[in-house]
Amino acid sequence: MKAILSAAVDWYVRLHDSSVDDATRAAWQAWCMADPRHAAAWARLEQLQGRLGSAPRGAAQTLENARRDRRHAVKALALLLGVGAVGWQGYRASPWSADYATRIGERRRLTLADGTRLDLNTDSRVDVCYDAGQRLIQLQRGEILVETAKDARPLSVRTVAGDILALGTRFSVRQDNGVSHVAVAAHAVEVRPSRASQVVRIDSGYSLSFAADDIGPLQPLAPAGQAWAEGMLVSVDWRLDEVVHELARYRPGYLGCAGEVAGLRLSGAFNLDDTDVALASLEDALPVRARRMTRYWVRLEPIGKG
Amino acid sequence: MSTVVPDGTAHTGLETLYREHSGWLHGWLRQRLNNSADAADLAQDTFIRVLLARTAGTLKEPRHYLATIARGLTIDLYRRRSLESAYLEALAQQPERYAPSAETHAAILDTLMAIDRMLDGLGPRTRAVFLAVQLDGLSYEKTGERLGVSVSTVRKHLARALMHCLLVEDA
Repeated sequence: MKAILSAAVDWYVRLHDSSVDDATRAAWQAWCMADPRHAAAWARLEQLQGRLGSAPRGAAQTLENARRDRRHAVKALALLLGVGAVGWQGYRASPWSADYATRIGERRRLTLADGTRLDLNTDSRVDVCYDAGQRLIQLQRGEILVETAKDARPLSVRTVAGDILALGTRFSVRQDNGVSHVAVAAHAVEVRPSRASQVVRIDSGYSLSFAADDIGPLQPLAPAGQAWAEGMLVSVDWRLDEVVHELARYRPGYLGCAGEVAGLRLSGAFNLDDTDVALASLEDALPVRARRMTRYWVRLEPIGKG
Repeated sequence: MSTVVPDGTAHTGLETLYREHSGWLHGWLRQRLNNSADAADLAQDTFIRVLLARTAGTLKEPRHYLATIARGLTIDLYRRRSLESAYLEALAQQPERYAPSAETHAAILDTLMAIDRMLDGLGPRTRAVFLAVQLDGLSYEKTGERLGVSVSTVRKHLARALMHCLLVEDA
């Protein structure tokens, strides 16, 4: 892949020249068409251009000024932190932002170019790649609900665990470490783990979990499992620690519960837009109270403790 | 979702981590940042990173791990501040009054942060060529004149910079 990227870069440098001629353009087009990997490498260069395009006017000078100001600070800082210049350059925070993302506690509903509806749950990220041959939604993190629109091109969701091919349908995918959970509300999907040759069909009303090299058993769909798209969490005879674990996805920081109350059971519906209200209703319904150390640190404990 | 897997071990681990090391981390950061409010913010952010990584229960050397994360966040803080002040300075020098909304301002800073991070590790000349061609929109000839190098040197450095950016994305 590196050699192909390098070839794409060479083409870019030639095409960007003010004296580029039609013969070069034609040769470049032939190169792009010759191999889908060529086209993919070229698409990455175009993506890069798109990102640079959102920089403000005068960004080049701003970046150079900031770097110059910092050079001095960095030397002092590197001494304090005990890292050299390598530490500075070796550190990278999260990679480039994906096409669509939500923060913790946020949800988004999108309509894609083909009319497909996509709901993003809390703390989720997707890259949407549509081209002439396919519609591909790459789930980087979190959970989505997909309601496909009719289109000649196949639609699939890709996770680290593998691909989920939609067969005209409404389904959700949740990514949790290396495991993908798929739940189908209408029609069917086909699941293809990336490192196994199996293909499993999930029909409406069923769900399953799979990893890159393993597929779990089919299970009946949990009641109201996709209610998050409407801003609700519905629990039917859940343990308290299950409810707390789910609510914690919608809150920044830590939300937990003490072992003594973890096994209490409850049924109910919670508004995901305000988890403080949800916590208050847990305090009403069960013999628990919320202990708050900071806004980001809440733990449910038995009443009368601490 | 259909299945809910309680993650008690990770949460308990994080709680222990917080109880045993948050005071130490705050002190460690305060000593280095010389500012108690920044230190408190970064200590909090560090624990949020640990929470998101869900690694709290499995750490062999928790203080080493916490310090590594805190170090990265400190570097980011300096990066953001330097970019913000350079950007505000550039705005102030523009003839027309232009005041971006808070959202636009944050989005612009995110973009600058991302580009700045991407350029880490490039030599000064390669970076200068990249910025002139890609952000200032200069031709190869104009870029060569500005930097006092030949057009073929401009091409070579531009290719090197683009390749670097593509590979950094993969890291």
